[in-house]
Amino acid sequence: MKRRTLLQLLAATLVALPARIGLRAQSTTLAAADVERLRLVAEVVLPQEIGIAGRTRAVDQFLTWLQHYRAGAETDHGYGFPRLRRTASSPAAKYARQLHDLGATFPQMAVTARVGAVEAAITAAGVQRLAGRPDGGHIASDLMAFYFNSIEANDVCYRAQIGRDTCRGLNGSENRPAPLPRGL
Amino acid sequence: MPTFECDVCIVGGGISSALLAQKLAELRPGTSTIVVEVGDRLFDTQRRWQDRLRSLAYGENPWPGDYVEDQAAAGVISRSMAVGGSALHWGGVTNRFSEEDLRLRSMYGLAVDWPLEWTELERFYCEAERRIGVGGEPGPLPEDKRSEPYPMQPMPLSWNLRQIKAWADKSAIPFWGTPQAKNTVPYDGRSECRRCNTCEICPTGARYSPDETFRRLLAAKAIALHDRTLVRRLLARDDGKTSQIAVAQATHRDRPDDPVEYRARLFVLAGGYCWTPHLLLSSASSRFPGGLANSSGTVGRHMTGHAFVGAHIELDAEIYPGMNDQHSLISRQFFRCAADQPYVRHDFRIWESSVGREPRLKSDDGRLLMGDALLADWRARAKRGTARVRAYYDVHPSAESRLTLDASLKNRFGDVMPNITHQLDAATEARVPATKRHILAQFERLARANNARILSTSESNYLDHPAGGCRMGTDRSASVCDSFGRTHDHENLFVVGAPTLPTGGCTNGTLTFAALTLRSATEVARSLA
Repeated sequence: MKRRTLLQLLAATLVALPARIGLRAQSTTLAAADVERLRLVAEVVLPQEIGIAGRTRAVDQFLTWLQHYRAGAETDHGYGFPRLRRTASSPAAKYARQLHDLGATFPQMAVTARVGAVEAAITAAGVQRLAGRPDGGHIASDLMAFYFNSIEANDVCYRAQIGRDTCRGLNGSENRPAPLPRGL
Repeated sequence: MPTFECDVCIVGGGISSALLAQKLAELRPGTSTIVVEVGDRLFDTQRRWQDRLRSLAYGENPWPGDYVEDQAAAGVISRSMAVGGSALHWGGVTNRFSEEDLRLRSMYGLAVDWPLEWTELERFYCEAERRIGVGGEPGPLPEDKRSEPYPMQPMPLSWNLRQIKAWADKSAIPFWGTPQAKNTVPYDGRSECRRCNTCEICPTGARYSPDETFRRLLAAKAIALHDRTLVRRLLARDDGKTSQIAVAQATHRDRPDDPVEYRARLFVLAGGYCWTPHLLLSSASSRFPGGLANSSGTVGRHMTGHAFVGAHIELDAEIYPGMNDQHSLISRQFFRCAADQPYVRHDFRIWESSVGREPRLKSDDGRLLMGDALLADWRARAKRGTARVRAYYDVHPSAESRLTLDASLKNRFGDVMPNITHQLDAATEARVPATKRHILAQFERLARANNARILSTSESNYLDHPAGGCRMGTDRSASVCDSFGRTHDHENLFVVGAPTLPTGGCTNGTLTFAALTLRSATEVARSLA
């Protein structure tokens, strides 16, 4: 399955699911002004190498992820993990506050100043490590967690079409993954 | 009170139950079989794609609702409780035990011998592999000789595993691909594996899952399935000469005030290592104060499994994490131990890994990394590869390795829940330090083979692939059932699968549970004649 196909499927699935499963309703979206701030954050926390289009896509997918987050859902317990847990409340409200706390002048700051503001915010939030998936620590580090743990970022890091978790089929998997096409 | 009568009442709906019901339907068509399972049936295969994606994106349970909140044991390894059992989300690893596992007493003076011959068990290994669909490559060691080829060609080694195998081969320890219950070609009406890398919820059906067997049996009207129904107690009928189980008392989770009874010619307990001994102990009465099938006092004892030592090893190899981290290499080099040598037996597995190669937020000197700096740091560390290695080693339980009823734990009906505490026998305790040294030396041997270094080591604080609690044997005073799982005390009561194992071997147990169950099925069918 191609990466885009997986992402499209994910988006379609995320849209379809909440109506089917009645979990706690919460605001899981950001206001338009907050989204604009998030895009400015993305400029400094995501790699330049993926370009404007890549950063835009990553933010859009993060917002989709946030929109379809379900508080109180069962988490994976599975074999060897017998403790039953549920997902925490939506981080959307916290994210909005964190974006606001970057300061009124954040949108007008030069890039270097924005880097400093985001670093200070992450440090102040006490975030010590990149989470496996967004966990509400800080929206900037959560955006990084979302992107850098993605299938796409794994491919970008290795400059190869690894396609983790994408049902690639058995044929050809004994070969080295093909290089990423230029521009990705 | 609703009462259901049938020829065979199977309590529990996991892999042993599925295979037993399937084989009974073939050997004795027309047999009325009722499978009673406390969990739900999760048969919506279309939903699996969606649940898989939500699991990947949010860490949500890929099998929503596969547990019963208050039906919980302390010390249990999995909460999975649904039609299909723990094997709903198993990895599909289908290693066999070895002959040594069945002959520990006679070969090494340790633990006990199993009450059946290896050649007999091997026959049923072949049958289990055919039924669930196993792909594998025969190992190079003559001791691993098979009487039948694997039903399917092996899973091809990914690029990563090929690199790791080339590295491991330099240590002169032979490794090959682990056999797996995953279709490498279309098999038994199921599709071939597409390497989705989420075997815990296989979205294609290529990995064997017992719920599919149940679906087919239901479609063929070969069984009745009573899900959401908890069997809470068995009642025995005793005429002074023979003792039989007369009734299984149960409660449907949605109708707690309306108890259900099952009356059957034969009762088969297929609830796994935890819930089978628990039910027997919970069925104590004035006639059987220690519980049913427990004249030996061994129900809930000799709870077993195997311990492990693991490590992550950094190596010079071009590894692309995420190609197929569910597949591994195995060596059975250390399954055998010469009788005149210190006793050490273990398997040896290697997987691709991303440990030490993940993106990170802070550099070694504590600098915050973002954007290009984070990617550059990640790329720099990704130049070398990581392998995850693990050795499951053979340990033997003492009689005090127990499942007991814990009055502090109760379900919604007030039933006392189990508590499992593993305890090794004295001989095992004495040799564990030497076993660990031996295994770590093998890890070092691997690392030295190609400019590699051990990043970290770890060891188990629990027994993996748990089993036992109703061990089989020929001595009625020291075992619960015979080699077919028929209990010594009640001629129409069988125990199948994991609980019957006297010892837990040193590799994954599911295929052994399945093989023993299929052998039990022949005896259950014969008993119906």
